[in-house]
Amino acid sequence: MVSTEEKTEAGVEEPKSPETAGDEPDEAGESGSTRRLRRTAVVLLVVALVVAGAGFFVRAQQVRDTPATDNLALSDTEATTRVVGDVSNALGKVFSYGPQDTAGTKESAKQLLGGKALRQYAALFGQVEKQSRDQKLTLTTHVVHAGVSRLSGTGAHLLVFLDQVYERRGKPATTAAAQLSVTAELRDGHWRIVDIASR
Amino acid sequence: MNFRTRVLMGWAVMLAAVLICAFGVSSYTQARGDDTLAYAKSRDAALAAGKHHLARLNSLNGKDATSVDAGLRQWLDVSTGPLHDQLKRTRSKDANDLKKSGSTARGTVTDAALTALDERAGTAELIATVDVRVTSRTGAAGTERKRFEATLARTPDGWKVKALTAIPVGAA
Repeated sequence: MVSTEEKTEAGVEEPKSPETAGDEPDEAGESGSTRRLRRTAVVLLVVALVVAGAGFFVRAQQVRDTPATDNLALSDTEATTRVVGDVSNALGKVFSYGPQDTAGTKESAKQLLGGKALRQYAALFGQVEKQSRDQKLTLTTHVVHAGVSRLSGTGAHLLVFLDQVYERRGKPATTAAAQLSVTAELRDGHWRIVDIASR
Repeated sequence: MNFRTRVLMGWAVMLAAVLICAFGVSSYTQARGDDTLAYAKSRDAALAAGKHHLARLNSLNGKDATSVDAGLRQWLDVSTGPLHDQLKRTRSKDANDLKKSGSTARGTVTDAALTALDERAGTAELIATVDVRVTSRTGAAGTERKRFEATLARTPDGWKVKALTAIPVGAA
Protein backbone atom coordinates (compact mmCIF):
# COMPACT_ATOMS: atom_id res chain seq x y z
CA MET A 1 0.00 0.00 0.00
CA VAL A 2 2.67 2.40 1.04
CA SER A 3 4.78 1.61 -1.93
CA THR A 4 1.89 2.08 -4.37
CA GLU A 5 1.06 5.39 -2.78
CA GLU A 6 4.61 6.51 -3.20
CA LYS A 7 4.50 5.37 -6.77
CA THR A 8 1.35 7.28 -7.59
CA GLU A 9 2.72 10.37 -5.96
CA ALA A 10 5.79 10.01 -7.96
CA GLY A 11 3.68 9.32 -11.01
CA VAL A 12 1.71 12.52 -10.52
CA GLU A 13 4.74 14.60 -9.94
CA GLU A 14 6.67 13.18 -12.75
CA PRO A 15 4.76 14.67 -15.68
CA LYS A 16 4.93 18.04 -13.94
CA SER A 17 8.63 18.25 -13.88
CA PRO A 18 9.13 17.68 -17.59
CA GLU A 19 6.61 20.47 -18.26
CA THR A 20 8.44 23.00 -16.12
CA ALA A 21 11.67 21.71 -17.34
CA GLY A 22 10.39 21.99 -20.88
CA ASP A 23 9.45 25.65 -20.37
CA GLU A 24 12.85 26.66 -19.24
CA PRO A 25 14.74 25.36 -22.24
CA ASP A 26 12.10 26.86 -24.49
CA GLU A 27 12.72 30.28 -22.98
CA ALA A 28 16.38 29.67 -22.90
CA GLY A 29 16.25 28.53 -26.49
CA GLU A 30 14.54 31.75 -27.52
CA SER A 31 16.67 33.95 -25.34
CA GLY A 32 18.77 35.00 -28.29
CA SER A 33 18.01 37.74 -30.80
CA THR A 34 14.42 36.48 -31.44
CA ARG A 35 13.41 37.11 -27.86
CA ARG A 36 15.01 40.52 -27.77
CA LEU A 37 13.30 41.39 -31.05
CA ARG A 38 9.95 40.26 -29.73
CA ARG A 39 10.41 42.24 -26.55
CA THR A 40 11.35 45.39 -28.50
CA ALA A 41 8.32 44.96 -30.74
CA VAL A 42 6.05 44.67 -27.71
CA VAL A 43 7.58 47.72 -26.04
CA LEU A 44 7.25 49.74 -29.28
CA LEU A 45 3.64 48.68 -29.71
CA VAL A 46 2.81 49.64 -26.13
CA VAL A 47 4.51 53.02 -26.52
CA ALA A 48 2.74 53.60 -29.85
CA LEU A 49 -0.65 52.78 -28.36
CA VAL A 50 -0.12 55.04 -25.34
CA VAL A 51 1.18 57.91 -27.47
CA ALA A 52 -1.72 57.57 -29.92
CA GLY A 53 -4.24 57.40 -27.09
CA ALA A 54 -2.77 60.46 -25.39
CA GLY A 55 -2.64 62.29 -28.71
CA PHE A 56 -6.32 61.65 -29.42
CA PHE A 57 -7.22 62.64 -25.88
CA VAL A 58 -5.30 65.93 -26.08
CA ARG A 59 -6.88 66.70 -29.47
CA ALA A 60 -10.32 65.94 -28.04
CA GLN A 61 -9.69 68.39 -25.20
CA GLN A 62 -8.59 71.02 -27.72
CA VAL A 63 -11.74 70.51 -29.75
CA ARG A 64 -13.88 70.68 -26.63
CA ASP A 65 -12.09 73.37 -24.70
CA THR A 66 -13.01 76.47 -26.64
CA PRO A 67 -14.74 79.63 -25.43
CA ALA A 68 -17.67 78.42 -27.53
CA THR A 69 -18.67 75.77 -25.02
CA ASP A 70 -18.53 78.13 -22.04
CA ASN A 71 -21.10 80.33 -23.73
CA LEU A 72 -24.63 78.97 -23.35
CA ALA A 73 -26.33 81.65 -25.47
CA LEU A 74 -28.88 79.94 -27.74
CA SER A 75 -27.35 76.49 -27.12
CA ASP A 76 -29.21 76.38 -23.81
CA THR A 77 -32.64 77.33 -25.14
CA GLU A 78 -34.39 77.39 -21.80
CA ALA A 79 -31.82 79.61 -20.06
CA THR A 80 -31.69 81.92 -23.10
CA THR A 81 -35.46 82.37 -23.16
CA ARG A 82 -35.42 83.00 -19.44
CA VAL A 83 -32.80 85.75 -19.46
CA VAL A 84 -34.43 87.44 -22.46
CA GLY A 85 -37.78 87.33 -20.67
CA ASP A 86 -36.45 88.63 -17.35
CA VAL A 87 -34.41 91.44 -18.92
CA SER A 88 -37.19 92.51 -21.33
CA ASN A 89 -39.65 92.56 -18.48
CA ALA A 90 -37.26 94.57 -16.28
CA LEU A 91 -36.51 97.16 -18.99
CA GLY A 92 -40.20 97.55 -19.75
CA LYS A 93 -40.90 98.19 -16.07
CA VAL A 94 -38.07 100.57 -15.18
CA PHE A 95 -38.43 102.67 -18.33
CA SER A 96 -42.20 103.04 -18.12
CA TYR A 97 -43.84 105.58 -15.84
CA GLY A 98 -46.61 108.12 -15.62
CA PRO A 99 -46.87 111.33 -13.63
CA GLN A 100 -48.80 109.44 -10.93
CA ASP A 101 -46.78 106.27 -10.53
CA THR A 102 -43.09 107.25 -10.53
CA ALA A 103 -42.84 105.84 -7.00
CA GLY A 104 -43.88 102.40 -8.22
CA THR A 105 -41.33 102.52 -11.01
CA LYS A 106 -38.62 103.55 -8.55
CA GLU A 107 -39.57 100.68 -6.26
CA SER A 108 -39.44 98.06 -9.02
CA ALA A 109 -36.11 99.45 -10.20
CA LYS A 110 -34.62 98.64 -6.80
CA GLN A 111 -35.65 95.03 -7.30
CA LEU A 112 -34.77 94.65 -10.98
CA LEU A 113 -31.54 96.61 -11.15
CA GLY A 114 -28.31 96.21 -9.26
CA GLY A 115 -24.74 97.44 -9.15
CA LYS A 116 -23.75 100.18 -11.54
CA ALA A 117 -27.10 100.14 -13.35
CA LEU A 118 -28.97 100.97 -10.16
CA ARG A 119 -26.61 103.86 -9.36
CA GLN A 120 -26.95 105.22 -12.91
CA TYR A 121 -30.69 104.88 -12.74
CA ALA A 122 -30.97 106.53 -9.31
CA ALA A 123 -28.91 109.48 -10.53
CA LEU A 124 -31.15 109.84 -13.56
CA PHE A 125 -34.50 109.24 -11.95
CA GLY A 126 -34.58 112.46 -9.95
CA GLN A 127 -34.84 114.44 -13.17
CA VAL A 128 -37.26 111.95 -14.67
CA GLU A 129 -39.61 112.24 -11.71
CA LYS A 130 -39.64 116.03 -11.90
CA GLN A 131 -40.07 116.04 -15.67
CA SER A 132 -42.88 113.55 -15.55
CA ARG A 133 -44.72 115.55 -12.92
CA ASP A 134 -44.17 118.97 -14.51
CA GLN A 135 -44.92 117.99 -18.09
CA LYS A 136 -47.53 115.34 -17.33
CA LEU A 137 -45.32 112.95 -19.24
CA THR A 138 -46.06 109.29 -19.61
CA LEU A 139 -43.38 106.99 -20.98
CA THR A 140 -44.11 103.49 -22.18
CA THR A 141 -41.21 101.28 -23.18
CA HIS A 142 -41.42 97.99 -24.94
CA VAL A 143 -38.84 95.61 -26.31
CA VAL A 144 -38.77 95.16 -30.08
CA HIS A 145 -35.88 92.69 -30.33
CA ALA A 146 -33.54 91.12 -27.83
CA GLY A 147 -30.58 88.85 -28.41
CA VAL A 148 -28.16 87.17 -26.01
CA SER A 149 -24.52 87.26 -27.06
CA ARG A 150 -22.99 85.76 -23.91
CA LEU A 151 -24.56 83.56 -21.29
CA SER A 152 -23.10 81.62 -18.39
CA GLY A 153 -24.60 80.17 -15.24
CA THR A 154 -24.32 83.51 -13.47
CA GLY A 155 -23.91 86.28 -16.06
CA ALA A 156 -25.28 87.38 -19.41
CA HIS A 157 -24.78 90.04 -22.04
CA LEU A 158 -27.68 91.14 -24.23
CA LEU A 159 -28.47 93.61 -26.96
CA VAL A 160 -31.97 95.00 -26.73
CA PHE A 161 -33.89 97.18 -29.18
CA LEU A 162 -36.54 99.31 -27.53
CA ASP A 163 -39.32 101.57 -28.69
CA GLN A 164 -40.28 104.32 -26.27
CA VAL A 165 -43.60 106.11 -26.56
CA TYR A 166 -43.75 109.58 -24.97
CA GLU A 167 -47.18 111.01 -24.26
CA ARG A 168 -47.68 114.51 -23.00
CA ARG A 169 -51.12 115.62 -22.07
CA GLY A 170 -52.78 117.35 -25.02
CA LYS A 171 -50.06 116.48 -27.49
CA PRO A 172 -49.72 113.65 -29.99
CA ALA A 173 -47.56 110.77 -28.81
CA THR A 174 -44.04 110.47 -30.17
CA THR A 175 -41.99 107.31 -30.46
CA ALA A 176 -38.23 107.11 -30.07
CA ALA A 177 -35.85 104.25 -30.63
CA ALA A 178 -33.35 103.11 -28.04
CA GLN A 179 -30.73 100.41 -28.20
CA LEU A 180 -29.17 99.11 -25.04
CA SER A 181 -26.30 96.75 -24.30
CA VAL A 182 -27.25 95.10 -21.05
CA THR A 183 -25.19 93.10 -18.59
CA ALA A 184 -27.23 90.95 -16.25
CA GLU A 185 -26.45 88.73 -13.27
CA LEU A 186 -28.44 85.83 -11.92
CA ARG A 187 -29.22 86.40 -8.26
CA ASP A 188 -31.67 84.32 -6.24
CA GLY A 189 -33.11 82.78 -9.38
CA HIS A 190 -33.78 86.13 -11.07
CA TRP A 191 -31.82 88.04 -13.65
CA ARG A 192 -30.89 91.50 -12.42
CA ILE A 193 -29.55 94.19 -14.73
CA VAL A 194 -26.19 95.40 -13.43
CA ASP A 195 -24.98 97.54 -16.33
CA ILE A 196 -26.61 99.41 -19.18
CA ALA A 197 -24.88 101.09 -22.11
CA SER A 198 -26.73 103.04 -24.77
CA ARG A 199 -25.85 102.13 -28.37
CA MET B 1 10.06 36.81 -11.28
CA ASN B 2 9.58 33.72 -13.33
CA PHE B 3 8.69 33.57 -16.99
CA ARG B 4 4.95 33.10 -16.50
CA THR B 5 4.62 36.23 -14.37
CA ARG B 6 6.61 38.17 -16.89
CA VAL B 7 4.36 37.04 -19.73
CA LEU B 8 1.28 37.93 -17.70
CA MET B 9 2.70 41.33 -16.90
CA GLY B 10 3.48 41.83 -20.53
CA TRP B 11 -0.12 41.14 -21.47
CA ALA B 12 -1.37 43.41 -18.68
CA VAL B 13 0.78 46.27 -19.91
CA MET B 14 -0.42 45.65 -23.49
CA LEU B 15 -4.05 45.60 -22.34
CA ALA B 16 -3.55 48.85 -20.44
CA ALA B 17 -2.00 50.45 -23.53
CA VAL B 18 -4.91 49.28 -25.70
CA LEU B 19 -7.37 50.70 -23.17
CA ILE B 20 -5.56 54.05 -23.06
CA CYS B 21 -5.64 54.22 -26.85
CA ALA B 22 -9.31 53.24 -27.00
CA PHE B 23 -10.18 55.86 -24.38
CA GLY B 24 -8.36 58.55 -26.36
CA VAL B 25 -10.08 57.60 -29.61
CA SER B 26 -13.53 57.42 -28.04
CA SER B 27 -13.02 60.77 -26.31
CA TYR B 28 -12.00 62.28 -29.64
CA THR B 29 -14.90 60.85 -31.64
CA GLN B 30 -17.26 61.99 -28.91
CA ALA B 31 -15.90 65.54 -29.07
CA ARG B 32 -16.19 65.49 -32.85
CA GLY B 33 -19.76 64.24 -32.77
CA ASP B 34 -20.83 66.60 -29.97
CA ASP B 35 -23.90 68.44 -31.30
CA THR B 36 -23.85 71.12 -28.60
CA LEU B 37 -20.24 71.86 -29.37
CA ALA B 38 -20.91 72.05 -33.12
CA TYR B 39 -23.89 74.30 -32.43
CA ALA B 40 -21.86 76.62 -30.19
CA LYS B 41 -19.13 76.87 -32.79
CA SER B 42 -21.64 77.65 -35.55
CA ARG B 43 -23.17 80.34 -33.35
CA ASP B 44 -19.82 82.01 -32.73
CA ALA B 45 -18.85 81.76 -36.40
CA ALA B 46 -22.18 83.24 -37.52
CA LEU B 47 -21.97 86.11 -35.01
CA ALA B 48 -18.38 86.96 -35.94
CA ALA B 49 -19.14 86.84 -39.67
CA GLY B 50 -22.34 88.85 -39.20
CA LYS B 51 -20.51 91.62 -37.33
CA HIS B 52 -17.82 91.81 -39.96
CA HIS B 53 -20.27 91.78 -42.87
CA LEU B 54 -22.57 94.41 -41.40
CA ALA B 55 -19.62 96.76 -40.94
CA ARG B 56 -18.72 96.16 -44.60
CA LEU B 57 -22.25 96.72 -45.85
CA ASN B 58 -22.34 100.05 -44.02
CA SER B 59 -19.00 101.21 -45.37
CA LEU B 60 -18.07 102.72 -48.70
CA ASN B 61 -15.21 104.86 -49.81
CA GLY B 62 -16.69 107.31 -52.33
CA LYS B 63 -13.37 108.94 -53.17
CA ASP B 64 -13.29 107.83 -56.83
CA ALA B 65 -14.67 105.28 -59.29
CA THR B 66 -12.12 102.61 -58.30
CA SER B 67 -12.85 102.82 -54.59
CA VAL B 68 -16.62 102.78 -55.23
CA ASP B 69 -16.23 99.70 -57.42
CA ALA B 70 -14.11 97.99 -54.78
CA GLY B 71 -16.70 98.80 -52.13
CA LEU B 72 -19.56 97.45 -54.21
CA ARG B 73 -17.59 94.29 -54.91
CA GLN B 74 -17.19 93.82 -51.16
CA TRP B 75 -20.93 94.23 -50.71
CA LEU B 76 -21.45 91.41 -53.19
CA ASP B 77 -18.76 89.32 -51.46
CA VAL B 78 -20.43 89.38 -48.07
CA SER B 79 -24.00 88.87 -49.32
CA THR B 80 -25.88 85.90 -50.65
CA GLY B 81 -29.39 85.02 -51.85
CA PRO B 82 -31.95 87.84 -52.18
CA LEU B 83 -29.67 90.59 -50.87
CA HIS B 84 -26.91 89.53 -53.25
CA ASP B 85 -29.33 89.51 -56.19
CA GLN B 86 -30.68 92.91 -55.29
CA LEU B 87 -27.22 94.44 -54.93
CA LYS B 88 -26.24 92.93 -58.26
CA ARG B 89 -29.32 94.36 -59.99
CA THR B 90 -28.77 97.86 -58.68
CA ARG B 91 -24.99 97.80 -58.93
CA SER B 92 -24.52 100.17 -61.88
CA LYS B 93 -27.11 102.58 -60.55
CA ASP B 94 -25.57 102.40 -57.05
CA ALA B 95 -22.12 103.02 -58.50
CA ASN B 96 -23.32 106.11 -60.36
CA ASP B 97 -25.16 107.52 -57.35
CA LEU B 98 -22.25 106.89 -55.01
CA LYS B 99 -19.71 108.37 -57.39
CA LYS B 100 -21.89 111.44 -57.81
CA SER B 101 -22.33 111.99 -54.06
CA GLY B 102 -18.66 111.24 -53.33
CA SER B 103 -19.28 110.80 -49.63
CA THR B 104 -17.54 108.18 -47.58
CA ALA B 105 -19.23 106.00 -45.00
CA ARG B 106 -17.51 103.98 -42.32
CA GLY B 107 -19.60 101.53 -40.36
CA THR B 108 -18.65 100.18 -36.95
CA VAL B 109 -20.71 97.50 -35.26
CA THR B 110 -21.11 98.61 -31.64
CA ASP B 111 -22.94 95.50 -30.46
CA ALA B 112 -24.54 92.43 -31.99
CA ALA B 113 -26.30 89.25 -30.92
CA LEU B 114 -27.95 86.30 -32.58
CA THR B 115 -31.63 85.90 -31.84
CA ALA B 116 -31.97 82.52 -33.56
CA LEU B 117 -29.78 79.84 -35.08
CA ASP B 118 -30.88 76.82 -37.07
CA GLU B 119 -27.75 74.73 -37.30
CA ARG B 120 -29.30 72.16 -39.62
CA ALA B 121 -30.82 74.62 -42.07
CA GLY B 122 -27.74 76.82 -41.83
CA THR B 123 -29.60 80.04 -41.11
CA ALA B 124 -29.33 82.59 -38.33
CA GLU B 125 -31.05 85.80 -37.27
CA LEU B 126 -28.87 88.63 -36.05
CA ILE B 127 -29.54 92.01 -34.51
CA ALA B 128 -26.87 94.68 -34.44
CA THR B 129 -26.30 98.35 -33.73
CA VAL B 130 -24.05 100.17 -36.15
CA ASP B 131 -22.47 103.60 -35.95
CA VAL B 132 -22.05 104.96 -39.45
CA ARG B 133 -19.67 107.87 -39.79
CA VAL B 134 -20.41 109.71 -43.00
CA THR B 135 -17.96 112.21 -44.41
CA SER B 136 -19.20 114.23 -47.36
CA ARG B 137 -17.00 115.37 -50.21
CA THR B 138 -16.80 118.80 -48.62
CA GLY B 139 -15.45 117.29 -45.43
CA ALA B 140 -18.54 117.68 -43.24
CA ALA B 141 -18.84 114.66 -40.97
CA GLY B 142 -21.62 113.16 -38.92
CA THR B 143 -22.38 109.90 -37.18
CA GLU B 144 -25.61 108.03 -37.62
CA ARG B 145 -26.77 105.36 -35.22
CA LYS B 146 -28.59 102.52 -36.90
CA ARG B 147 -30.18 99.30 -35.77
CA PHE B 148 -30.44 96.31 -38.04
CA GLU B 149 -31.93 92.89 -38.25
CA ALA B 150 -30.12 90.54 -40.59
CA THR B 151 -30.71 87.02 -41.81
CA LEU B 152 -27.53 85.05 -42.27
CA ALA B 153 -27.10 81.93 -44.36
CA ARG B 154 -24.29 79.41 -44.35
CA THR B 155 -22.55 79.12 -47.71
CA PRO B 156 -19.49 77.11 -48.78
CA ASP B 157 -17.52 80.34 -48.13
CA GLY B 158 -18.87 80.77 -44.61
CA TRP B 159 -21.79 82.75 -43.23
CA LYS B 160 -23.14 85.54 -45.43
CA VAL B 161 -25.92 88.09 -45.22
CA LYS B 162 -29.12 87.00 -46.97
CA ALA B 163 -31.38 89.83 -45.88
CA LEU B 164 -30.78 93.14 -44.14
CA THR B 165 -33.42 95.41 -42.64
CA ALA B 166 -32.95 98.65 -40.82
CA ILE B 167 -35.50 98.52 -38.03
CA PRO B 168 -37.50 101.72 -37.97
CA VAL B 169 -39.05 103.22 -34.87
CA GLY B 170 -42.43 101.76 -34.00
CA ALA B 171 -41.90 98.63 -36.07
CA ALA B 172 -43.38 96.34 -33.46
